[in-house]
Amino acid sequence: MEDEQVMQEVRAGSVGKLEVLFDRHSRALFRYFLHLTSDRAASEDLVQEVFFRILKYRHTYQPETSFRAWMYQVGRNVYLDHAGKRKAEVGLPEYAMEMTSSEMPADRQVQQRQEAVLLHKALASLPPEKREVLVMSRFLELKYEEIASVLKIEVGTVKVRVYRALRELGDRFYAMGGERA
Amino acid sequence: MNCERVREQIPEVLAGRLEGAARERLIEHLDTCAACRAQVAELGVVWRGLEAMAQPEPSPAMKSRFLETLHAYEEGFQEAQRRLTYTPPKRSWFWQPAWQVVFATVVLAAGLAGGRYLMPHEAAPVSNPEIAQLKGQVDTLRQMVALSLLQDQSASSRLRGVTYSNQMTQPDRDVAQALLHAVSHDSNVNVRLSAVDALAKFASDPEVRRAMADSLAVQDSPLVQVALIDLLVQLHAREGVPVILKLSQDKDANEAVRQRAVSALEKLGGAQ
Repeated sequence: MEDEQVMQEVRAGSVGKLEVLFDRHSRALFRYFLHLTSDRAASEDLVQEVFFRILKYRHTYQPETSFRAWMYQVGRNVYLDHAGKRKAEVGLPEYAMEMTSSEMPADRQVQQRQEAVLLHKALASLPPEKREVLVMSRFLELKYEEIASVLKIEVGTVKVRVYRALRELGDRFYAMGGERA
Repeated sequence: MNCERVREQIPEVLAGRLEGAARERLIEHLDTCAACRAQVAELGVVWRGLEAMAQPEPSPAMKSRFLETLHAYEEGFQEAQRRLTYTPPKRSWFWQPAWQVVFATVVLAAGLAGGRYLMPHEAAPVSNPEIAQLKGQVDTLRQMVALSLLQDQSASSRLRGVTYSNQMTQPDRDVAQALLHAVSHDSNVNVRLSAVDALAKFASDPEVRRAMADSLAVQDSPLVQVALIDLLVQLHAREGVPVILKLSQDKDANEAVRQRAVSALEKLGGAQ
């Protein structure tokens, strides 16, 4: 069943169905917050807050709109409330050293680990609005139309912002010593 | 096609989302422009590097916390639904109000007439005292559970405390105070919001309405502010007007809160 249909049932009173949407989206939402806050515990709390608000304000969901876009709108408001209370710290994410392992030779692995750490540093050092748009596009794989709806901007503006954010990330990464192609 | 327009499409190309004619035009441009080719290559390294980053997993406790909150909410919601949707079963014509009035009048007349000729007896107690005592004990128990849960460390327990307070048949002042304290001072916004809803039950007490207005003045969460304003409007609580007026004029206040305050003033003004 599509997200939108499930959400319509939640809206109509089958609040228990929200578990389906939690199972589908809580991981991505957690990663979105983790990229913005660099704090695991806070990110888990923010996910709880998003789903609680979805429950409480379920009647404000417009059935013909994308559930994912609406959920990230709620998520963004939750994050802004959180950041307003506690100035968001931009540092090296605590999970920066967790890299995916593979079967490649040891020296190549070491090089890739170093580059991944640099990339993490570069991403964490981006201004929050650029990091956010890049995370939405790259990690959450949101469509430009969905990002436009979450950020309440034009699709053309999203396109330009994602490009500029990626270019700035590249500039920072290479300035820190990242290997060029 | 100029270089800047081409470069704006690089993230879409790297994500494999650029298709059809747009993709053809881009490839055509890259064949002739070395600078753009170089940028696609450079940004391609970064884009693929992002993919290689670990995707951290949340702890299993996140799901169990969610389920705990969901069940507490579901319990409260179903209870509210039961109260709202309760309709008495259909009855025969005899139980229609008009016939009941006729029947009651006949019985009353017969009773009055009969009463003149019969010895008066001591009136039987209206209700069974044991049942009344039992009801009182259940209410006291709910009150104790609600009060103890409202002071718990865990936010989901405090939410359950709010749900329990909703089940009490007789509004109790201690519980109202605990809910007011939760609205103003609880660290968790969800608990504060639920406590606002639960306070509606105690709204006949002017002191509670005043305390709600005081809480609005010190509230830092825009969501709770909006919920409190809505409740004060719903109760036509004019005690809230000075604080709402101040919020409506506060340029630093959250825009949504300010607008809600302006609209609330119109409604409360109309309620005069």
